[in-house]
Amino acid sequence: MKALENLFDRIVQRVNINLRELDFDVKPHIRNLIPLDKMVKFYAFYGITPHHSLDFQFRHSNLAGSYFLGKCRITNAMLYKSDIRGDELKHRGDLFRYQQFEIPVTKDEGIDIGDSFLIKTLVHNFSHDPETLERFFITNTVSTHYANIHGSPTDGSFLGPFATVDLTTMNDCVIGTFSYIQAGEIGHLHIAPGTMWVRDPDDFNFLYRYPLNKLNRYIRYAAGQFPQGLLIDFIIERKEAFQHVFNVVNIEPPVPVPATASLDRFAVVMPNTHISDNVLVAQRAYLQNAHLGRGANAQENCYIINANLEGFNVTAHGAKIIEADLGQNVFVGFNSFLQGRPTSRLTIGKESIIMPHTIIDIDRPLTIPAGHMVWGLVNNAADLEANSIPLAELSKINGSMTRGRLFFEGNGAAFVTAFRERIHHILEANGAFYNGAQNRGHAQKNQNISFNTIQPYPDGELAGLYPTIMIQP
Amino acid sequence: MKNFSVKELMVPLSEYATVSEGATLFEAVLALEKAQEEFDHTKYRHRGVLILNQNGQVVGKLGQLDVLQALEPRDENDDEISSLAQFGFSSSLVRKLRKDRRLLGAPLKNLCSKATRLKVEDCMQAVTEGEHVSQDDSLDIAIHQLVTGNHPSLLVTNKNQIVGILRLSDVFAAVFHAMKECEFPQSEETR
Repeated sequence: MKALENLFDRIVQRVNINLRELDFDVKPHIRNLIPLDKMVKFYAFYGITPHHSLDFQFRHSNLAGSYFLGKCRITNAMLYKSDIRGDELKHRGDLFRYQQFEIPVTKDEGIDIGDSFLIKTLVHNFSHDPETLERFFITNTVSTHYANIHGSPTDGSFLGPFATVDLTTMNDCVIGTFSYIQAGEIGHLHIAPGTMWVRDPDDFNFLYRYPLNKLNRYIRYAAGQFPQGLLIDFIIERKEAFQHVFNVVNIEPPVPVPATASLDRFAVVMPNTHISDNVLVAQRAYLQNAHLGRGANAQENCYIINANLEGFNVTAHGAKIIEADLGQNVFVGFNSFLQGRPTSRLTIGKESIIMPHTIIDIDRPLTIPAGHMVWGLVNNAADLEANSIPLAELSKINGSMTRGRLFFEGNGAAFVTAFRERIHHILEANGAFYNGAQNRGHAQKNQNISFNTIQPYPDGELAGLYPTIMIQP
Repeated sequence: MKNFSVKELMVPLSEYATVSEGATLFEAVLALEKAQEEFDHTKYRHRGVLILNQNGQVVGKLGQLDVLQALEPRDENDDEISSLAQFGFSSSLVRKLRKDRRLLGAPLKNLCSKATRLKVEDCMQAVTEGEHVSQDDSLDIAIHQLVTGNHPSLLVTNKNQIVGILRLSDVFAAVFHAMKECEFPQSEETR
């Protein structure tokens, strides 16, 4: 396993060189997080479909339990149970619009991961950086459990557990646990845990910071320790159900799946689940007694339990919905944790937006009216009052607003429009609007994926390393 | 220009306001008032207090700005507001939030209780490297240290003992007089 140990040291050194200005050492953070012998145990797998590029290159890397789709280059990297999902990459001939520019894409975009260690991380979407249109890079970076790198070229950075970087080019940054960043371009920032920041420099700026003493109950993390808290407990309690779907080669869908919908064979589906037309259920999603109405989707690492989604609902990567009833067009952002209880259900009115990294954890019934935006920590009706606003009211703001721990500045209408347009785009990309002939999306294109497995050297100096593998049509 | 030495321009330690560690902010202000009364009134007034440890060594300085900063309202929201600029919020919003905070907890509101509660070591500026200058050094060296270190004063040493303070105001006065001499040289007739 000497080669794997050397690779680990190489990655640590590369990341630390980039983070020296922040005086941040990643080694204590990841040294014992994943024992190297576990990295030898798991196979990696990749998908083949007629709808996606087939262009994989794996060199001098460990890929334990990770999944690849589309065009991916992995070099000198360690990927532990991560999803590298290249089904939204740009294609040769596309036009990329940025401000007043229309930039032609000259070759198919690829995800390029080098000198990085990603742990249970989701990589998805496409590079939103006009300076690197055809290369969505993740280099000299460490990310930890359930982090999301979404459309965000990243270099020299560290992401704590449940951190999300979304549509943001990031250089030399530390992103704290359970922080969500969507800010276009950032560099040399050390973001504290529980920071929720959405910024468009021309139009708006939204910042909420969790009270750490309360966030710690849900997720806390210290260097050298495994992440802890209710979010981790929740996942561990359901871990066993995933072992079955990863151990079995051929698996039949446990519930009827309409011809227009897609249920990934690596998703867990428990009894009493209903899947409607145009629904997408991604790998590593978990459904139990869940009703997914027309055009709803459940993305990677989502949990939907004892819940009813009326239709056209986005449940973004890592979101969890328990004991809840959601009206049509409700958006639940990345890593949100919505926990009602059997005797105190959560009801969310239609067209509401639950911001990424929102925690709603209630022991009395709670109703979020239609057309509201909700953020931060909500444990009761008073918290909801402080951490929500009708979208119509938000649209009227042109200046600044402070509410509880939220700071907002800019044009509220632009903020609401940006979210609504993005939600529409997500539904469109996922095939929610497919009419039998037009508007095909992931729900229709991802139905018949062939999965192949690849494995590392089992023993000796190279144990844990995968041989150089190139897979092309 | 006459080549002054530091010793010629410094205020001797015995003439400066000093308090011991553990003194309150109010005691420091009283010491400053007393020193000002006793000081040569033709010179600039004292604006700071030195903090001495048990051995009589200078461990910190307390200036006017330090006193005002200590009286500012502070809570966890203060740091939050301070960090907003890092996230790209406008300076006008930061100013507005500060103003709102100030109205909630104006520094003069609880002045008396704060002044008697706060200890000088909680408000003082600790003495740092680069703030010392030898009494035998030339004014040029002292000016360089004041400018590069952005210090309002320097501690003057003689064989590792602090013997005085070289204040920016005294250095500026010396330079100003020298400039006037250059501009208006005395003629032979008037000598």
